[in-house]
Amino acid sequence: MTKAAASTAPAVPTGGPAARAGDLVDLGLRACEAFGRPDLAGRLAGMKARLADPVSHIVVAGEFKQGKSSLVNALVGAPVCPVDDDAATAVPTYVRHGDEASAELVWQGDEQRREAIALADVRQHVVENGTEGERVAGVEVRIPRAILAGGMVLVDTPGVGGLGSAHAAASLAAISLADAVLFVTSAAQELTRSEIDFLRRARALCPTVACVLTKTDFYPAWRRIRELDEAHLAAEPGPAVPLLAVSSSLRARAVKNSDAGLNAESGYPGLIEFVRDLVGGSAEQRLANEAAAEVVSLCDQLGASFAAEREALADPVSAQRVVDELTAVKSRVEQLKTAAARWNQTLTDGIADLTSDIDHDLRSRIRAVTAEADEALEKSDPADTWQEMGSWLQAKTAAELLTNYELLRDRATDLSERVGEHFRAASGVLLRTPTVHDPTPLAAGEVDQDLDLKKMRVVKQAMVAIKGAYGSAVMFSLLGSMVGIVLGPIGVGIGLVLGHRGLREEKKRQVQKRRTEARNAVRRYCDKVTFVAAKDSRDTLRRVQRELRDHYTSLAEELNKSNAAALTAATEAANRSQTDRVKRLKDVDAELERLRKLRARAEAVAR
Amino acid sequence: MSGATERIMTPRLTDRTRTVLAHGIEVYRGTPHAARLAAARDRLDDPLRVAVAGRVKAGKSTLLNALVGERLAPTDAGECTRIVTWYRDGHTYQVRAQVGREQRQLRFAREHDRLDIDLGGLNADDVSELVVTWPAQALRAVTLVDTPGIGSLTTSAARRTWDLLVPDEEETPADAVVYLMRHLHAGDVEFLRAFHDAEVSRPSPVNAIGVLSRADEIAVGRLDSMASARRVATRLGADPNVRRLVQSVVPVAGLLAETAVTLTEEEVARLRRIADLPVKEAEELLLSADRFTSSKPELGLTELERSALLTRFGVFGVRLASTMLRRGVAGTASELATELADRSGLGRLQELLRSLFFERRDVLKCRSALLAVAELTHAWPRPGSERLAAEVEEVVASAHPFNELRVLSGLRAGWVSGKDEVLDELERVIGGSGGATHQRLRLPADAGGPELNAAAVTALERWQRRAESPMTSYEMAVAARVAVRSCEGMLADLSR
Repeated sequence: MTKAAASTAPAVPTGGPAARAGDLVDLGLRACEAFGRPDLAGRLAGMKARLADPVSHIVVAGEFKQGKSSLVNALVGAPVCPVDDDAATAVPTYVRHGDEASAELVWQGDEQRREAIALADVRQHVVENGTEGERVAGVEVRIPRAILAGGMVLVDTPGVGGLGSAHAAASLAAISLADAVLFVTSAAQELTRSEIDFLRRARALCPTVACVLTKTDFYPAWRRIRELDEAHLAAEPGPAVPLLAVSSSLRARAVKNSDAGLNAESGYPGLIEFVRDLVGGSAEQRLANEAAAEVVSLCDQLGASFAAEREALADPVSAQRVVDELTAVKSRVEQLKTAAARWNQTLTDGIADLTSDIDHDLRSRIRAVTAEADEALEKSDPADTWQEMGSWLQAKTAAELLTNYELLRDRATDLSERVGEHFRAASGVLLRTPTVHDPTPLAAGEVDQDLDLKKMRVVKQAMVAIKGAYGSAVMFSLLGSMVGIVLGPIGVGIGLVLGHRGLREEKKRQVQKRRTEARNAVRRYCDKVTFVAAKDSRDTLRRVQRELRDHYTSLAEELNKSNAAALTAATEAANRSQTDRVKRLKDVDAELERLRKLRARAEAVAR
Repeated sequence: MSGATERIMTPRLTDRTRTVLAHGIEVYRGTPHAARLAAARDRLDDPLRVAVAGRVKAGKSTLLNALVGERLAPTDAGECTRIVTWYRDGHTYQVRAQVGREQRQLRFAREHDRLDIDLGGLNADDVSELVVTWPAQALRAVTLVDTPGIGSLTTSAARRTWDLLVPDEEETPADAVVYLMRHLHAGDVEFLRAFHDAEVSRPSPVNAIGVLSRADEIAVGRLDSMASARRVATRLGADPNVRRLVQSVVPVAGLLAETAVTLTEEEVARLRRIADLPVKEAEELLLSADRFTSSKPELGLTELERSALLTRFGVFGVRLASTMLRRGVAGTASELATELADRSGLGRLQELLRSLFFERRDVLKCRSALLAVAELTHAWPRPGSERLAAEVEEVVASAHPFNELRVLSGLRAGWVSGKDEVLDELERVIGGSGGATHQRLRLPADAGGPELNAAAVTALERWQRRAESPMTSYEMAVAARVAVRSCEGMLADLSR
């Protein structure tokens, strides 16, 4: 072990939290190399990459024709999202930073399959045009704009068209992975019931939500509307939702004519600052916290072996005790890696329970939908209602699937926290054991803070893993593929019945026949949906299980290596000569001091 | 030119309906339902009842005012109409409130050209409806019903509209509906669905017209807004889902329409000041509502006067009216009023109301009345009600106007298949685009008797051929037989 380790650190860190976290991670990486622990460097390297290219998704959502696309265009100051008087946005547009303006199509079902298109062609893919065919999942536009350079991705979404619609479910699914949501409502009227319902649901999925009041140039009474909306928002439980008023057309004109006064009138400078502060700032800090937690954990792992060595060096009598302790720990750490470990059992059992619960929930929901559909069919004539029944059924199942997904997400998050808790309980004890009798640096006074950061690390890390598992999953592909599951036509077999006799009887007979046919079609549809959705959620849960297991197994492996290193060091210390021992003790103290400093810096970065 | 076929058919239909109602009153004598049927009978002599419905803030009250030609219904930026309000013709000015089972006379004032009703300490939630009796030319032909919006945050207000249009076990109190839609919304279709009944005409576009309201907002006030709105309305009107629910969709800029029919000289004088500005300056001034009220103090209009203009015209209206004055399209207040009413789409809507509702009013009223009887016999069977139901069925099944309606709805629902141009012709011949003879024969309104006669004869032959051809599908043959009756009716009418 060399002392070249984490030495030459700049005294005063500069820059934003991300920059400071970047420096911190670099130091951590150097320390890994210096102490010969490349296994610990892997995650730090991943962290470094995320810091270098931070991404925060801001989803712009709202009802039809409220000016969502115009808002995105006005924010970036370029007409990237097509705006039309009639046709509405049909697929999400991701607007992100790029050195050169470019656009790509993302195809449904295969994230990797992309196709470069000209910017001018974006319109024909994004705007609803009623053509069937292979489905485009989204369009990604890159443009060189300072506001996006910080990693912000603006997502323009199709209008939700009522909470019950399939679009709303897709929007909410997107929101569940977003860092912030801008809910757009125009000054034409105050917030409606369905808007408030959507907002409520969105807030449950993504806590950072702001409301934007658009088209203030066109509606003289926009101040009244703002007051009314503020009152509606204030009536909502939970933290206040900010409401910002803007005019996209004034902003567009201001950008075109470089008119600063008009720009101020448009309200956009305030919105941009707000988005930067709230979204950019908090996302950056969140990332910095995660990086800091990584480095703290690194310090603990590295520090453990030095602390053990120091103890053995400082007091040869206790050296054997330290070695014994570490040997005992060794078997426990190894046990932590096995399937018999408590966390692993919690995970296995939890996933099994969850799979069964989610499946049950899904089935009972779909059954309720079927029952409702039957009831509706009983009251009406399918010949008249069939088309609407189709969209109703689709919207209804989409909403139910979303609720089911929310349940899965909440329960999986709970489970991951429980697993993390168990792992931390076991590993925390292990890591601290050698330092119990240590009077010097890694003092007990730091334990509380240490606890928090470590807990945060264990759980946060796992959350990142789980989010990945969701992201590649269900809702996007599912809601997309649901469009593929069609209700199918029923034989209309209808006759125009005219004439004096039997009008009612003949009608009744025809209606009965159609009802039976319709009920069967609904059954088939629901069966198919259940089949696809059940498979999807099973797969997602399996992915979650795998991610969590891999995550904690590799953590256990790291602990094992740290412990082994400590054991080696302590054993060596016991065998050293007196002079050697004094010299080594000085070195070890110096290393511990460096680690302590690094740790202190990490704690300063985390807030 | 007015309803040709109806004129010979409807007296009989109305008489038959009266007979059924009289019989119904007998069957239900001694029950509360008899009074309901008597009311239904009396209503056959009243003007047609047309409800103005739609989502919250769709501009229902504004449009209603434009149709009446007076600012009767209160309008506001926030949600405003919370009580179902009937506007009917009468000899005296009067406002009454229905509270539970009793009616109360309310005090009202007419200030600043608008109606201010004093609820007199009544809670809005307790009032089930308001009845405004108002001597007005426009109300002689039609009783208008203003409804609270659907999708309101005030649940009780939305509930009332549902109650009015979709009562649990009663006929709908309105004979026809003007349904205001903004951008088509899932909720809209659901609502329209429920409005339609099941017995007399199936969910059919016979008694509903769609209005794409607040049309000036579709292009956010650009001068070509109305052209854009017409495109949207045409697309909506061609959408199969919409076609099955409303007869036709027309764009109306309600605020502009309301202002056009109540325009004052003073307002024109103020607009002229803006029109006199150089184009560039006027454009800068009208960039936003805020700019218009607070910049350019040298214009000679106070902030209050400017806000008043905005309230009356909207940003689009001020832009449009001042441009028309500048370009000399309109010189005087009355010219401007005509021009604005025309551009707002109000004229086209009134035309549609006339040809689709008013000319068919007897059919629509009979339809409502028979519906009431049919539902009564289902919900409250009594000795004799079985026979009554059969009578209703007989009228419904045999009256030619109802057959026309049924074929029309079948057509719109896509049950009858055929070449597009044949379907188009069928829809016209049975009165789908208006009941007047020239409309049925696709001839100009000033077509002469011989021309109409010749066209009717060819149409008759054509439809007879189609009805008898073995190549014709069953549905088309049934529809063609109805078309033949329609042609015969036209010829009979023309020969008088």
